[in-house]
Amino acid sequence: MVEFQALYYDGKSSASRPVRVRAWTGELEITGEGVRARVPTSAVQVEPPIGATRRILQLPDGAQLQTADEAAIAALFPEANALEGRIHRLERRWPYALAAVLVVGLVAWWMVVYGVPIAARIAAESVPIDVETALGERTLGTLDSMGCGPSMLASKRAAELRSRFEALTHGLQDGFHYRLELRSCRTIGANAFALPGGTIVMTDGLVKLSQNDDEIVAVLAHEVGHVRHRHGLRLAFQALGVGALVATLFGDAASLSAIIVAVPSVLVQTGYSRAFEEDADRYAFVRLKEIGISPRHFADILRRLEGSRGSGARGERALDYLSSHPATEKRIERALAQ
Amino acid sequence: MDKAALDVAVPGAETRYPVEFSASAGEYFRIWIVNLALTIVTIGIYSAWAKVRKKRYFYAHTKIAGEGFEYRGNPIAILKGRLVAVALVALYSIAGQFSPLAQGVLALVFAIVFPWLYVRSLAFNAYNSAYRNMRFHFSATYREALGLMAWCAFVTLITAGFGYPYARAELTRFSAERHRYGTARFALPSLIRIFYGIYLRLLAFTLLAGVIGVIVVSAVAVVPAGPTRWLPALALPLGMFALYLMWFAYPRARIGNAVWNKLTIGGGTSGAPQVRFESRLRARDLAWLYFVNVLALVLTLGLATAWAVVRTMRYRAEKMTLEVTGGLDGFVAAQESEVAAAPEEVGEMLGFDFSI
Repeated sequence: MVEFQALYYDGKSSASRPVRVRAWTGELEITGEGVRARVPTSAVQVEPPIGATRRILQLPDGAQLQTADEAAIAALFPEANALEGRIHRLERRWPYALAAVLVVGLVAWWMVVYGVPIAARIAAESVPIDVETALGERTLGTLDSMGCGPSMLASKRAAELRSRFEALTHGLQDGFHYRLELRSCRTIGANAFALPGGTIVMTDGLVKLSQNDDEIVAVLAHEVGHVRHRHGLRLAFQALGVGALVATLFGDAASLSAIIVAVPSVLVQTGYSRAFEEDADRYAFVRLKEIGISPRHFADILRRLEGSRGSGARGERALDYLSSHPATEKRIERALAQ
Repeated sequence: MDKAALDVAVPGAETRYPVEFSASAGEYFRIWIVNLALTIVTIGIYSAWAKVRKKRYFYAHTKIAGEGFEYRGNPIAILKGRLVAVALVALYSIAGQFSPLAQGVLALVFAIVFPWLYVRSLAFNAYNSAYRNMRFHFSATYREALGLMAWCAFVTLITAGFGYPYARAELTRFSAERHRYGTARFALPSLIRIFYGIYLRLLAFTLLAGVIGVIVVSAVAVVPAGPTRWLPALALPLGMFALYLMWFAYPRARIGNAVWNKLTIGGGTSGAPQVRFESRLRARDLAWLYFVNVLALVLTLGLATAWAVVRTMRYRAEKMTLEVTGGLDGFVAAQESEVAAAPEEVGEMLGFDFSI
């Protein structure tokens, strides 16, 4: 016979009554001041254990017993809470907790390095190119509403650049609709970027910065690499995945401080962007050689872009791990090694 | 607390019960990390169970007169709620990629649905919270919530934000007063004046900080380039951080105190015992707590989460005392007929819950 002390609550009022519970075969006998009840053991619902807190037994008439006598409950209801009982045993011991730290760390690392990028690539590949093109058009619209206007280049010069772009993308049978958009942007200076679907935007600033058209083609080849690898879409899907991962990992910390949770997502995403820049460089080197242009031109214009951004060379190296573009010197070295 | 305090409680006599918090960082760390590991290897499905376990842990360790609270949320209901929430967010962000119009329409739909979610979430939480085997209840209709929220949004917009303390006070009052413990109602007098006092002081403080900031920036410009130049330059981000801490801690402490110190449960003509609260939160304590938490979280890459959560909850609990007239035994459960909102269904319904 199992016997234990408990607090009894009838569920009708907030009174708590100390009682003695005796378990006979198949029955609990509850006795205390003003309490006398017999309850079939099979009708008792045992709440799962959590930490070192009192165990709770729900009785069929809405009443409740709470007891600190863990051993009695374990003896009386050996079958109860199969799943959560197991989790409770994991939660009670430090070795399991340390194993959980390892599991969380390893799974999170794997997801950031492999899982999220792979899932994002699969997701991006399932998006039809037409849909991707529509997304790109919207981005272009946003860009034009944010301080970018039509190009100031002479129409003859623009036509020259377009024909070089034609030559660059000619024969690429990958389904993308390549198109060069020339823009004059006050805020972003010398730059070029790829929009999802095949539209590549280049600013007049970049054209002015270049010393020959091969340099421009080199930059455009890099952007074509972004398009072919669907980097825009993949980055968006990766951001979703990382967001979900970070929310899971740091959800409880976020209730304490929302801002610090933004930091890991930003760090991971700059890492992703760096990887994509390197991919696009690699593609550019291959394509440039195919059309008979030396990747050296890519190194040349990169160096000049770097110079035009002011004397940040030392800071750039220091921020290598944070920067979205891999340190320019490394990229220049790779271009020259081709 | 000793049981003797309960036995001598007679009508009219007031007994003070400090809120006790017996959770420990070590115990919670193990619960937190094991449940996090299970969540991550089940790609989030287990998160509903994790949430219930963590909540049950903290409820059980929050004690009044030596007896803990009980959380009864059903993980399946919470999982359903989460799936719906994830689907809605995904729909919203995908719609935004394609058409701003679709996103605008969805935002409007969310604005209309939000009061329903709010009411359901509070009802779910209240119904699944119990003390001494007696549930809390929250009853408000969707229509009431929609009306109040639309009014509050209107007032805030039309006054260019100056109606915000009013809106906040009215919403706080609404959500407090619709709660019951058994049959005992929650009562909260109007807090509009107090809320204005708090927000105006915060505004004044911010303006002052702005003036100081301008002075510091000018100082940076005046100080000649040299080894000491970084000093005022460093003062600016530090000042911004201090201001951020203040923005975080001051309203939290003051509003928390205002609400709890004015709240009464039961009493009046109902014949039920009456509970009043004494909340003694301090803004500088909260700011320091928060600062140390952030530091610890950053230095441990998040492993200090469990410790930070426990110490934050402990601080809040330790600053709270109950003043009970008529003893804690005399609250009476609501009869089924008195519960208009069909709470059984609420419990089985989607468990929307905005807290993480």
